Amino acid sequence: MSTINLIFEINFAIFSVFFVLFLTELMGGLLLLIAYDATKAKVLPYIVPIWEVTGTFAAFWVVTSDFAYPNLILPVALSFAGLIVVFLIFFVFRNASITFAELITKRRWVDERRLYQAYGLATLLIAVVVVVVLSTIVSGAGFTLSATPTFSLWGWVTSAGSLPYLIGIVFVALGLAPVFYDIAPLRRLSPIFTVVGVAIEAGALYLYSSSFLSVWFVIPALLTILASLLYQLPATAKIVSHKLVFALIGTVIVFSLSYLVYPTAFNGALPVDAVTTTGALVGAYYVLSVIGVVVVTLLMALYLFAVQHASAVRSAPAPAAASKP
Amino acid sequence: MSIPVSIVDFDRFLFAFTIASHILLVSMSIGLALMICFVEFLFARTKDRYYAALARRFVRPFVVSFGIGTASGIVMAVELVNLFPTFMTLVSKTGVISIFYVEIFAFFLETIFLVVYVYYASSFRGRYTRFLLSLPIVVGTLLSAVLIVMVNAWMNTPNGFDISTYIASNYTTVTGVQPWAPFLTTSTGYEVFHVLATVPLTGLMLIGGFLGYKYSKSKKPEEKTLFLKGFQVSVAASLAFVVLSIVSGILQIENLYLFQPLKFAAIELNMNPGTNQPEILFGWLNGTTVVDAIQIPGLQSVLAGGASLPGLSQYPQSDWPPLIIHDFFDTMVILGVLLGLFLLGFAGLWVIQRKPYDHRFFVYLFLVFTGITALVMELGWVVDELGRQPWVVYNVLPTSVAANTNTDLFYPGLVIIAAYIFLVPFTFWFMARVFRKRSLEEDLAGSGEGADVNY
Repeated sequence: MSTINLIFEINFAIFSVFFVLFLTELMGGLLLLIAYDATKAKVLPYIVPIWEVTGTFAAFWVVTSDFAYPNLILPVALSFAGLIVVFLIFFVFRNASITFAELITKRRWVDERRLYQAYGLATLLIAVVVVVVLSTIVSGAGFTLSATPTFSLWGWVTSAGSLPYLIGIVFVALGLAPVFYDIAPLRRLSPIFTVVGVAIEAGALYLYSSSFLSVWFVIPALLTILASLLYQLPATAKIVSHKLVFALIGTVIVFSLSYLVYPTAFNGALPVDAVTTTGALVGAYYVLSVIGVVVVTLLMALYLFAVQHASAVRSAPAPAAASKP
Repeated sequence: MSIPVSIVDFDRFLFAFTIASHILLVSMSIGLALMICFVEFLFARTKDRYYAALARRFVRPFVVSFGIGTASGIVMAVELVNLFPTFMTLVSKTGVISIFYVEIFAFFLETIFLVVYVYYASSFRGRYTRFLLSLPIVVGTLLSAVLIVMVNAWMNTPNGFDISTYIASNYTTVTGVQPWAPFLTTSTGYEVFHVLATVPLTGLMLIGGFLGYKYSKSKKPEEKTLFLKGFQVSVAASLAFVVLSIVSGILQIENLYLFQPLKFAAIELNMNPGTNQPEILFGWLNGTTVVDAIQIPGLQSVLAGGASLPGLSQYPQSDWPPLIIHDFFDTMVILGVLLGLFLLGFAGLWVIQRKPYDHRFFVYLFLVFTGITALVMELGWVVDELGRQPWVVYNVLPTSVAANTNTDLFYPGLVIIAAYIFLVPFTFWFMARVFRKRSLEEDLAGSGEGADVNY
């Protein structure tokens, strides 16, 4: 019987939160690219504060990964060096475009619309890089594990499951975007894109390895489709499009997919337990993780309280004195 | 892939370029966070609406510097893994990774309170609420800086693991790990104090220079009042931080003398050890002889209280850092002293009602010293980092061993450099523009959210 690797679980839980936050940004970015005018009122009030939190969660995940898997740093750097720098270029592009979009004053050849759409494009490009890396960690496509490991982008592209894997995620993002942002005119399209996306994703995983298609995939796949179906019903639409509910369920779904990389990553080539940190640092990892969960939970609670409070104040009726003739 | 330079040198240059750009953005973020906190406090105390208007105006550039600074911070974090994987492997196998972990909490503190302060603070009541919401942003920002400096201190004076075993194993085996030891190395206190003094000083001077210039150019009385009040706050704060910078700088030299004697010998250009060392200003080493230098006999030893000072000859030449750091160090110290004297004189004239801000000469001189402050900060960083070469972890891990030799990162790396060359000046220009996004009347009236974002 296998034991639980708590270091992996903590790291993957942080990844799940980051990935869901990033996915919500990707969904918003796609909507801004496709239908800016029709969706900006719903998308921007969420994106504008949250993009800074997503970046922080990305850093959180990177640091806990360094902590959890010190022996992987060298192989990852040696094999993904070029791709990581490309990711950084898109990341700078993302932050710069949304920062300037928020505050641009002169509106000539470039305005907030173009900058917000540039942000959407940058987020999509980041998603492509992230998916390439993640799908490689799952499938080992394009990756050769040796004393000096290598990664070939061409090898990844020509692997049968890779492009469907990428396309499937974009379809799922497009399908869930109307749900998360409560875009009623796109309601009918939501289940179509979601079902097609999940089906492509299932096919991609099967092409990588038939062992990936287990009951552990069926449950999150059904939950994902269910979200788009529940959005069709007025009684349940408000619940599934509630951002906190969506984010929490999304995090659970992503977390449940951990079986794709544990107990072995790179399609069985790398036993995770063998590369997890050991010795005196394990205790420090637990202590800091507990402190981190408490600190981040408190801060996120403060953030949610501020959002709710501001919303309540803005929707409150004006004082009687202000309405005097 | 064939590339025209040594990939190890390229790794070093790329990281140096990124961090040199990053610390400019960080100094602005820290300076703006402090200024927001100061003027919010002054507004809460005095109800002077000019301070509230200043807070509104500072928030916009702060959002910009934070957004771009976050990007460049993450670029640096990922570059450390990508460019120096053997170094990061060592970091991740020792307690240094715990420092990075805690750094994330500081980053969260800064981020969440920034978001709450910028986007939602106007919905809260209470005289001191805005000030209290701005305070954790300063704490988070400064804490981030402190923790990163702790990592740098560990690189200069490593501890918390068995160094001899690590070296003997050809940089693969890490034993005897003490998870919390790297939080407090022998040089941590010195370095943290110095950075906490100098980095805010740079940001405050940059803001002060901008406000002084705007004051001298402004024609409207209300705008002049606004800029002058902001200028006054930044000059007062800069004066406090320049005093701290001088004190911490002296202690930092003591730190080098005690714990990094080779770096000390290099920055002082001491060829031989001894108790009667001259102070050597500029010059260079020709063989074993110092030439083209101004030498003040015995002064260095007098300043060191007569202690025996180290010399380069005590160490193998292969371990010497590039001796150009001696000239950088002298330039930094001379400019730093001039900056201190200038600020003291400027503030003194202000106190005795001579209104230096009404003389264009003084205002433009202040602008010159604004640039000098940034130069001094950059030189200080260069002296620290170049002074540790050829080691990335002093006397433990050579930079050449730590670096990534995958040439795939060369061309994307060039794109990163090109992006920074455009992005950093544009960011500063944009910050200056958004400072006046709304009219003064609107800012004084206090309409709109803090940052007044477009959506």
